[in-house]
Amino acid sequence: MRARLLNEILAAGEGSDPILEIDDIHLSFAGVVAIDGVSITVHNGELFAIIGPNGAGKTSIFNCISGLYQPDRGSISFEGRDLLGMKPNRIADLGVARTFQNIELFPQMTVLDNLMLGRHQHVRYGSVAAVLRVGRAAAEEARNREVVEGIIEFLDIQAHRKSYVAMLPYGIQKRIELGRALAMEPKLLLLDEPAAGMNLEETEDMARFITDIKRELGIGIVLVDHDMRMVMDVADTVLAIDFGRPIAVGTPAEIQRNDDVIRAYLGQEHAVAEPGGDE
Amino acid sequence: MTTTAPTPTITTVTPASKVRERARTTPEAVALRVKSEGIWREITWETYWDRIETFAHALIAHGAEVGDRVGIHSENRPEWVYTDIGSMAARAACMGLYPTNPTAEVEYLLKDSGCRILVVEDEEQADKVLAIPAADLPALEKIVYLEHRGVDTKDDPRLMSWDDFMATGHSHRAAFPDALERRMAEATPDDLAYLVYTSGTTGPPKGSMLTVRNLQYAGKVLAGSDGIVKPPPGPDDLLVSYLPLCHIYEKLFTVVFGTWVGSQTHFGESIDTLVPDMRDVNPTIVQGVPRIWERIHAAILVRLGSASRMKLLNAAVWLKAADRVGRTLARTGGRHTLLSRVLQGLGNMFLYRSLKDRVGLRRCRFGVSAAAPIAPEILRFFMGIGVPIHEAYGMTENTGVATRNLPGRIKLGTVGEAYEDSDIRLDPETGEILCRHDGVFIGYWNQPEATAATLDDEGYLHTGDVGEMVDGTHIRIVDRLKDIIITSGGKNVSPSEIENTLKTSPFIKEAIIVGDRRKFLSALIGIDFDVVSEWAQRKRIPHTTYRDLSEKPEVVALVRKAVDESNEKFARVEQIKKFTLLTKELDHEDGELTATQKVKRSVIEKRFSDEIESMYS
Repeated sequence: MRARLLNEILAAGEGSDPILEIDDIHLSFAGVVAIDGVSITVHNGELFAIIGPNGAGKTSIFNCISGLYQPDRGSISFEGRDLLGMKPNRIADLGVARTFQNIELFPQMTVLDNLMLGRHQHVRYGSVAAVLRVGRAAAEEARNREVVEGIIEFLDIQAHRKSYVAMLPYGIQKRIELGRALAMEPKLLLLDEPAAGMNLEETEDMARFITDIKRELGIGIVLVDHDMRMVMDVADTVLAIDFGRPIAVGTPAEIQRNDDVIRAYLGQEHAVAEPGGDE
Repeated sequence: MTTTAPTPTITTVTPASKVRERARTTPEAVALRVKSEGIWREITWETYWDRIETFAHALIAHGAEVGDRVGIHSENRPEWVYTDIGSMAARAACMGLYPTNPTAEVEYLLKDSGCRILVVEDEEQADKVLAIPAADLPALEKIVYLEHRGVDTKDDPRLMSWDDFMATGHSHRAAFPDALERRMAEATPDDLAYLVYTSGTTGPPKGSMLTVRNLQYAGKVLAGSDGIVKPPPGPDDLLVSYLPLCHIYEKLFTVVFGTWVGSQTHFGESIDTLVPDMRDVNPTIVQGVPRIWERIHAAILVRLGSASRMKLLNAAVWLKAADRVGRTLARTGGRHTLLSRVLQGLGNMFLYRSLKDRVGLRRCRFGVSAAAPIAPEILRFFMGIGVPIHEAYGMTENTGVATRNLPGRIKLGTVGEAYEDSDIRLDPETGEILCRHDGVFIGYWNQPEATAATLDDEGYLHTGDVGEMVDGTHIRIVDRLKDIIITSGGKNVSPSEIENTLKTSPFIKEAIIVGDRRKFLSALIGIDFDVVSEWAQRKRIPHTTYRDLSEKPEVVALVRKAVDESNEKFARVEQIKKFTLLTKELDHEDGELTATQKVKRSVIEKRFSDEIESMYS
């Protein structure tokens, strides 16, 4: 029996219409400018990466999309719907899932429970039914468990199913965070430094997971990471920002040749290494 | 094949015919279970046979002829056995590749065997064969992949999904319903059943040709009441298939044993979930290699080390009792005395049951250790806690069948006695073990010289192992003929015995004894990272990598203690005077271990020659 592909487990994205449109957003904290006129469009099936030095405002953009921050001006729309002013949980309900730079899991719960929690938007039954485990509750729980088991297999974490998150190595916790975001069955996935602090092998695994998600689900993915090799390997489109200002947007190859990017990101004298050493 | 020929009534018995028979007599009984997405799913004998039949039809549909080679490159899973037994049904020969085989080895194996149809598990294995220029593999026509992820988008005309391949089998079956029956009816005992590549601690792998007759012999011997398992095995026995299926040992249990005995075979979730899978299944018969038994032993001891004081006290008392029981059983050959039975019963209540529960050995009535020598201390421990492990001996070239320890007749430190209908003897000059029976292979694929060097005119297989008789019945393996160390003092020393004693320490994972033509023996020792790391954490010794941990003076002292303890068991010339800790873990991909995790002595001695020389300067 072969393993199910993600589109056999979760709802897949369709076509390549724009799903997220950010238009000229600005954000400042007590006079410090965090985002200064960023505009991006992410399509279904597109992997959109945002790169920039530390403090360039990458995570701030994520926080604006997921509703944790409200930009001072500009607009953010998801599937044509205006997100500004919406509560984070409402935005999550619409189908925007994210992972965090610093892992935000429930460390005293098992991997399985953490992933099942990721399904909570898809729970449609009431507390009485839940307690009695009847009718829709039982059927939905079974369906949710099926989804979660598919994700466990996808991420190859069967050995950790019943382990407490706190006991697991960091690299595995990062995987579980990705799993929880997937369990939400998102239409748009925001990944905040999924490979941070990982060794080479773990980074390669993570890059493979992200590529598989894109290929099998065809949803929009926004990725922020420092690992240039990974970003350049997996991304379709890259936006480089510095001090909250966009410097350049284009394909990985274009971005690597862009002088402004090289200057901002690596300092004047460096060049960006070719990914994988091929070509 | 002509249509006018009468259908032969006598068919040659093969694992395929055995499955067909069970599908007819007990169609609803469970043959296999596989855990997928957290649930154990049952496969009945009827379904088992249906898949095998379809696969075999697909082979015929794709033009597979009698004797063609079909390869499979996958972890253990039901499709492995469908391929294995399905090939046999179509009278083709199956050859397995180790999942860890890197591209260069895959290329060698596919070229050498002339493999025509290859089943690959997933993208990782597909990439290996696709990295080889198609022109270099002229015989390879089809690459059938099991997992779609990342493979179904690749562009190679040879690629075909398992489902599509099986679909061609279905159509063929519908169009020619008796094609397979006819082919099976023509099977003979001389059919080539397997090419089993021995991993080879020296030189490139050689393909051992095993025939249907060899498997019939193994099936008869293993399933018999005087075979290996006592009381005799049956359909209620549960086994977990987890050792590599390309190796004769797991093939014997999953394929030959499973089909002859009708036991239930379980495929776990992944390579990392052996312990939880074992706990789920609680197998009644466990086939293991020393490394597995050593690891379970270490896991039990380490777990106890972090227990509370009360528990430690309890454990100390009952481990001592287990040692006593183990010694008694070692003396009696495995037969309980009244005292040992009572002691074990009590120990079971207070300690052993919970120990066994944790590793899924609670219902294990019969354990086997083979494929490499195991230290008697490990066997005694397991005997003591009520998991009788019986050391057996065999090799690819004799279908894994040579000697075994029978319950009640166990002699620790020996590999047991020869089976019925077999002729095992020692070469009067060299002490090499010679073996002659119907399980002895017919030679190495395309290697007449190597065959001639292994099989003599009288039909004896020269095993390359030096043995000695114990009490006129049992055989003790001294060492590989070529590994025997002769010190500069002229004394013959068997390195494996010393290495195995060292490895009984839970902290030591690898030990390689050096000393050929030298004044004294020394050792390269690799620590068990998990165990030593946990020990170091308890001692509050900060550490990072394997290398860092190996270089800690406390760790060196820890290993020294283990070496000293081991030395006490040996005569002066056999004692290790110096040792060096390896600063990297040995690995198959780096060429230091074979696919079956055996140390490649020559590679190690070359790679670590600086370390070795410094011990002698």
